[in-house]
Amino acid sequence: MHYRFKMSEETLTYGVDPVKENHLKVSTGEKTLDVSYTVITDHHVHWVVDGVGVNAFVTGEKGEKTILIRGVSYVVCDADRAERTRKGARDLTRLPQVITPPMPSVVIRIMVAEGDSVQKGDSVIVLTAMKMETTLTAPFPGRVTGINVSVGEKVMPGKILVDIEKEPEDTQST
Amino acid sequence: MFKKILIANRGEIARRIMYTCREMGVATVAVYSDVDRNAVHVLEADQAVHLGDAEPAESYLNIDKIIAAAKETRAEAIHPGYGFLAENADFAERCEQNGLIFIGPPAPVIRELGDKTVARQTMIKNGVPVIPGMTRPESDPQTIAREADGLGYPVLIKAAAGGGGKGMRVVQTRAEIREACLSAASEAASAFGNGSIYLEKYLARPRHIEFQILADRYGNVVHLLERECSIQRRHQKIIEETPSPAMTPELRERMGKAAVAAARASGYVNAGTVEFLLDRDGSFYFLEVNTRLQVEHPITEMVTGIDIVRHQLSIAAGDPLNMVQEEIQGRGHAIECRIYAEDPEQGFYPSPGKITYMKEPSGPGIRNDCGVYAGFQVPVEYDPILSKLIAHAENRDAAIQRMIQALQAYVILGIRTGIPFLIDVLRSEAFVTGETFTDFLISNFVDWKPERTAADMACIAYIIDDLAGQNKTKVSSAGAGEILSPWHSLGNWRR
Repeated sequence: MHYRFKMSEETLTYGVDPVKENHLKVSTGEKTLDVSYTVITDHHVHWVVDGVGVNAFVTGEKGEKTILIRGVSYVVCDADRAERTRKGARDLTRLPQVITPPMPSVVIRIMVAEGDSVQKGDSVIVLTAMKMETTLTAPFPGRVTGINVSVGEKVMPGKILVDIEKEPEDTQST
Repeated sequence: MFKKILIANRGEIARRIMYTCREMGVATVAVYSDVDRNAVHVLEADQAVHLGDAEPAESYLNIDKIIAAAKETRAEAIHPGYGFLAENADFAERCEQNGLIFIGPPAPVIRELGDKTVARQTMIKNGVPVIPGMTRPESDPQTIAREADGLGYPVLIKAAAGGGGKGMRVVQTRAEIREACLSAASEAASAFGNGSIYLEKYLARPRHIEFQILADRYGNVVHLLERECSIQRRHQKIIEETPSPAMTPELRERMGKAAVAAARASGYVNAGTVEFLLDRDGSFYFLEVNTRLQVEHPITEMVTGIDIVRHQLSIAAGDPLNMVQEEIQGRGHAIECRIYAEDPEQGFYPSPGKITYMKEPSGPGIRNDCGVYAGFQVPVEYDPILSKLIAHAENRDAAIQRMIQALQAYVILGIRTGIPFLIDVLRSEAFVTGETFTDFLISNFVDWKPERTAADMACIAYIIDDLAGQNKTKVSSAGAGEILSPWHSLGNWRR
């Protein structure tokens, strides 16, 4: 059996060969690892490779799981699955192309006006959530064509707060 | 001692206060908002009173409702924790008017120390060094510009009613000062309802050093040594330690005396913190007094062995302090890391949501003051602090290693936390050598990403989890605490 994963920008491929119950041979590139594992709880797996034990903690659905190993998190996507369900799946590796809050927030400052031109990385709007302020920035150079919210408004993820029309690729920015 | 107190707060600090209350045989009353029905402080209190909507103004900031809850449950005193109403003089006054004891300093002391220019005048009168600058609020940018010329640039504009970096501006040149005054005043007006500003000399790369104090009603004042809190992001502390790597016994003696003098000068009663900036040349300046229990109080408790909350209750009940300065000794080194619900790879944006799994670290010298649990929905309405992890060891190097191990063993799934970032900060050369100044993060940690050296291991975890999922009905894929209906386990049969 084969797995193809996407992690950040990388694609990683593994061949998996179940030897017996709770025992796998996992091959990647040149090396083959002998993995004997135990499922401790629904979120905790433990295995031994080359005599060394590893604890990993897993959450998430089929297709995209977050794995925590020694304090560092890894978002692992099943690349084959993601391709099958391209429309529905969230592809976290792509940069956001729209100005939308990552979580429920309140607008506290709008830093652009309709007609303004913005450079990639320019501050566009300031939001607050959990008592913290966050500035959303322009994902690409362009022109502001619409402001869809006002100061003090509660906004949800998915709502486009500011419309920015992308600058045509072939024109040099001034 | 009180028979029962109300705790006007939530999360980890409400729970921490309850621990001491239980040890002292004091019954506890929790208060909660709609989104906190299942919060840990509600589950662990002897009694809990519902306040209302999640909006702080309808719940944890609502003075009328909190006083009514205390009267209804016959609590004798109110502990405000930190944040919310902790430094609200009107609240302290309303408690007293209603025959309730406010566990904190008297209302006039909170009011006086809350106004930074008044506090500066008090300190100058009593010989406590303050940062050179103005002692009266000013609104005219031209007057402020003249003062700035006298002080020499760079200067710092601050809000008289300030805190948390609001209404604060560093000004490098005369050309910028007018604009900076106007924007600082308007920010201060919207944040505190008071647009007064004043000017101080700006210190480049200071350390933030504070002294914990305890004062009783009879004029006895002691300090419980220092804490260094230079590692800050947007004026919020994220790592604190004691003793400070910059401290010498002689400097501690001088700063401790200044802290006690500051407490006496303001007529302080109960636990408080005198904050200073320590400049590179060894001179120190009064910054402000925090009239509350501080977030970072546990590191002081670890090295001194003194339970600060216990003394807060005793002092409020009218007992005299049962210790003298000479008895207070620090042992070893303690570090605290604040664990926030935030995504360190996305500009530290808050990360609320449901915790699907959690495993707290343990081991020698580890303390975790925690306000959440697996299955708890971290609300968006409040401060993102989940817990405070404290490591205590015999010296600084050992405490750093102990903290790194504890952070690596701390598992919180379902939301993002700052843990991987904290690990890298503690490992950094600058931290290990004690080169900790208030510009630490912007000098050392811009555009941080974790090193992901265990990618193969993460993929193996995915594979094992996937295979385990194929071998059983994934009833458990619903998080803990969710009610499972038969429809969830019917899989493809569900229409």
